[in-house]
Formats: sequence, structure tokens, C-alpha cells
Amino acid sequence: MTPTHFAFSSAFMLGLMGLAFHRQHLLSALLCLEGMMLSLFIALSLWTLQLDSTSFSASPMLLLAFSACEASAGLALLVATTRTHGSDQLQNLNLLQC
Amino acid sequence: MNPLILTILLFALGLGTTITFMSSHWLFAWMGLEINTLAIIPLMTQHHHPRSTEAGTKYFLAQATAAAMLLFASVTNAWLTGQWDILQMSHPLPTTMITLALALKIGLAPLHSWLPEVLQGLDLTTGLILSTWQKLAPFALLLQINPTNPTVLIMLGITSTLVGGWGGLNQTQLRKILAYSSIAHLGWMALILPFYPSLTLLALLTYLIMTLSTFLVFKLNKATNINTLAISWSKTPIITTLTPLLLLSLGGLPPLTGFMPKWFILQELTKQNLPLLATFTALTALLSLYFYLRLSYSMTLTMFPNNLMGTTPWRFFTQSTSLPLALSISMAIALLPLAPAMMALLTP
Amino acid sequence: MTFIMYLLLFLLILGLVAVASNPSPYFAALGLVLVAGMGCGVLVSHGGPFLSLILFLIYLGGMLVVFAYSAALAAEPYPETWGSRPVIMSVMIYVLGVLLVGGIFWGGWYESSWMSVDELMEFSILRGDMAGVAMMYSSGGLMLIISAWVLLLTLFVVLELTRGLNRGALRAV
Repeated sequence: MTPTHFAFSSAFMLGLMGLAFHRQHLLSALLCLEGMMLSLFIALSLWTLQLDSTSFSASPMLLLAFSACEASAGLALLVATTRTHGSDQLQNLNLLQC
Repeated sequence: MNPLILTILLFALGLGTTITFMSSHWLFAWMGLEINTLAIIPLMTQHHHPRSTEAGTKYFLAQATAAAMLLFASVTNAWLTGQWDILQMSHPLPTTMITLALALKIGLAPLHSWLPEVLQGLDLTTGLILSTWQKLAPFALLLQINPTNPTVLIMLGITSTLVGGWGGLNQTQLRKILAYSSIAHLGWMALILPFYPSLTLLALLTYLIMTLSTFLVFKLNKATNINTLAISWSKTPIITTLTPLLLLSLGGLPPLTGFMPKWFILQELTKQNLPLLATFTALTALLSLYFYLRLSYSMTLTMFPNNLMGTTPWRFFTQSTSLPLALSISMAIALLPLAPAMMALLTP
Repeated sequence: MTFIMYLLLFLLILGLVAVASNPSPYFAALGLVLVAGMGCGVLVSHGGPFLSLILFLIYLGGMLVVFAYSAALAAEPYPETWGSRPVIMSVMIYVLGVLLVGGIFWGGWYESSWMSVDELMEFSILRGDMAGVAMMYSSGGLMLIISAWVLLLTLFVVLELTRGLNRGALRAV
């Protein structure tokens, strides 16, 4: 396991743990998702660069486009929940519990 | 919703699943899953009710996490083995991570807790899409990765059948009951996946047919909780007589379609020298059977007090198309004699 | 060079710790800026200037402006920084966890395997990653079409999601 592999793996895992364990605002959950996507971008680019398979280097761009789509959908959901629930606190999303 | 936008969204929903079906590269498969997730969110929140918005948010968070984890696992696979092919997963670590990510995507226990809440916030049509069409793409990937170690899938399957039966016991909302029934069925599929993937396909097929007809029946009755089901005899008497058979088919009682996958799965598990596992799964199916029985009891065997005018809505002409319901409900009840043909069709 | 590389990687992980340890969204966005900047450094030193430029311009320029905008929407009177007690607790837990896992996985690696792409082509103007991205216009055209279609789809998704005209407190006038 090279240091770069370790770095992006632990970065992704940190983002996942932050998303899973303590989230108070919906916005910070989205930021954690963005952090995960960013570490994936770095991972894909480094894989391309280290293995010298440059024909693969379009894939980080595709990843970036898709993560931009995801981020914008998440922000639109943030606006929608702020409209309907009054704030972006995740503890307000409790209408559907049993 | 504007019909043009609805068309675009439905087309994208189909496109996402198709891309995942035809892909052999993990990045492409991930793209298909992302398109699927993006396209269904506006369908979920189309009424802009607080409940539906919340369901959309929860669905988005769960699916985005699962997709990111899937891609992370495939990048790790590429770093470790240099492979991006779906069919050539050899390292156990990325395979396990992909299995867990797909389990989060389809809602296998213990990663299931988003599914009942999300399904409760949707209307019945979107709930139908969510619990049938959205399961196809992750299952296509699960069937392809060919897990080397069956323990993870067995644990997921056992927990799902148990939780799916147990969680549904205390519910009065039909959509939550359907969500737990979906979890239980997916548990059966995950259980047999490492041993006999064709049986997973068979179970998925029968699950799709039965869930489709159940959702269509509830949609015809406009029913979202058990109380509403109790007066369905005054709206649609014929459907009311057929629905208990449909529910018992979901529960897996012998002369009905739902018995077929359970029968084959139990037989295959015993053939694989896992009698304890087979017994335990058969026992957890009893838990699910309890709430199906409760639904059919309150639907057919009770006479709800009603005024005279309330008993006559069946005289009105219904506007809804009845062909999908008729086809799916007859398939969901009477497909068991075709079991050898279906097995021959699905076995490679 | 190795020292700079280690520093960049360390700051990358530290930035993710700063995002993950649940501060207020403003500060989490700041941590994300740190991660993106360090990621650019890592990519440049691996020989991918074009991807690094894309990351810097598109990611920092586009995405984080949007996030800053919505952090203003979610403003709160007493924001939590990394100095407050629960946040510093989780920061310490995360750093300890990373150090522990790093201690387990360290070793079995030697420095000369640190390759960058196109190392022998110093005088070439066209870098490898640029040529690879340009392949999206030739043989990878299907991917380009799919990405453009998804971006268009996202436009409709966002329009439909934020439409809710008659519910809630914030309304379109």
C-alpha cells in the first residue's frame, strides 16, 4: 500500500464516517459527500497517472460531472427541505418514523 | 408535473437501468446507478408535501453514499489488481465492499432502515417504481460479481428475512408493511445468491410480479392503511376476494406462486448441507406470514360497520385501466404449475 | 520532493478530518477548500497538471461558491468551530484512528516507485493527461454525450425539486 493509496483511502473513509456518525445539518452531510467525491477524483486521477494509462484520464472528468450533478440535486433538496421543514437540521426530518 | 418533464424523467430512469445492464466496466455501471437515483428524486417529491420531500432527502443520502462506496470499492480494486471489469473481481476486500454498497442500495438488513421511511413518504405509483424497477440495476451487478466468500451474503440474507418479518409485525401503514415484506424477499434472494444465482433471478421475478399486483390493488383501493382495506369490499368485491390469495402468495403458501422460490431455495440449501440455515429461514418466513394474514383477515373476514350509502360504490364505473392488474394478479396467484418451465428458462 | 509530497498527503487527510468532525458548515467548507488545494498539489507532483487545473478551477470555482451560498442560507447564531469541545473530541478520535490504521498498513513500500507520468518527455508540450482527456472527443464520444445528458437531466431535476410554490415558509413570489 503506497502512501497515496493510504491517503485517499483514509480520506474517503473519514468522509464516510463523518457522514454516518454525526450530522447535525443537512448541509454538512452534503459537504461530507463532496469530500468523498473529491477523494474519489484524486484516486481516479492518481490511478491514471501512476499506471501511465493516459487514455483513462477522461474518467476523473466524468466523475466530476456526475458529482456536480449529485451536489446540485442535494442542494436542491436542501432548499426543498428548508421550505417544508423550516430549517436544515437533520433532526427535523422525523415525520416518517414509526 | 409537466408531462414533458415526466417523460424525460421516466426515460432517464429507463436509461440508467439499461446502462447498468449493458456495462462491463465499473465506472459505467456507477454512472447508470447515479442516473437512476437522480431521475427518481423529482418523481418522489412531485407533490412537494413535507413527507415526500423528506423521503426524497433520505433516499438521496442513502443512495449517494452507496454509489460513492461502490465507486470507491472499484477504485480500490483497480489499485490492487489493475482491473475494472465487473466480471473479474478477484480480491476479497473490494468484493465485500461492493456487496455491502449494493445491499445499502437495495435495502438489505442491517442497512435497510431508510427503506420503510422512504416508502412511507411516497405515493403508491412512485413506491411501485421504487420497490420494483429500482431493484433491477443493483441486482444485475450483484449477480455479476460472483462473490468468493458466501458468508457476507448469508449474513445479510438471514438478517433481512428476520428483520423483514419482525419489523412488519407492529405496523398499520400498508406502505411500511410492503417495505418490510420487500426486505424479507430481498433477504431470500441474497441468501441463495452464492449457491445458485438462477434461483435469485427466479425469486426476483416472482417478487416483481407479486409486488406489482399488490401495489396495483392498493392503488385501486386508494388504501394506505389497514382500516381503508377493511371497506374495500364495498368498492371492488372481486379484487377483494382475490387479494387474500395474493397476500398469501407473498407469504409463500403452497398452491400459489410465492411458494415456488421459497420451495426451490429451501431445497437448494438442504442440498448444500445447510439444513440449519434452511430451517431458520423457513421459520422467519412465518413472521412475515403473520402480517400478511392480518391484512387478509381485516380485508375479507371482517364486516366493517358502514351506512347504507357507503356500501354501494362498487356500482360506479371505474376509470382505471384494469389490464395490468388482471395480468399481474393472475400471474401472482397461479404461476406455480409453470415452475419447471421457468427454471428451464432461467438456468443458463 | 518526498517531504513536500508527505506534507501534501498529510494535509489532505487533515482537511478531511476537519470536514468530518462536524463543525458548522462554514468551517467544513473551509476544510473542503483545504482538501481540494492539497489534491491539486498531489496531482501536479504526479505529473497531471491538466487534471489539477480542472480540479482547481471547476471544483473550487464552481462548487464551493454554491456551497458558500447555501451556507449563508443555513446560517446559525453560534457556529461551532474546531475549538469547541465535541468537535475537538471527534477530531482527536479521527486523527488517532488514522494514525493507528496507518501504523498497521505502513511498510512494504519504497520511494523509487513514486512515478509520475511522461517522465521522459520533459520537452513535450502535450502532457499525457491532456491527450487522455481529449480522447473524450474522439473515441469516448458516447461518454461525453451521456455526461451532457445527465447535466441536462440535473437541470430538470433541480427545477422540479425547488418548484413547490404553495407550501412552506419560503416561497417564490
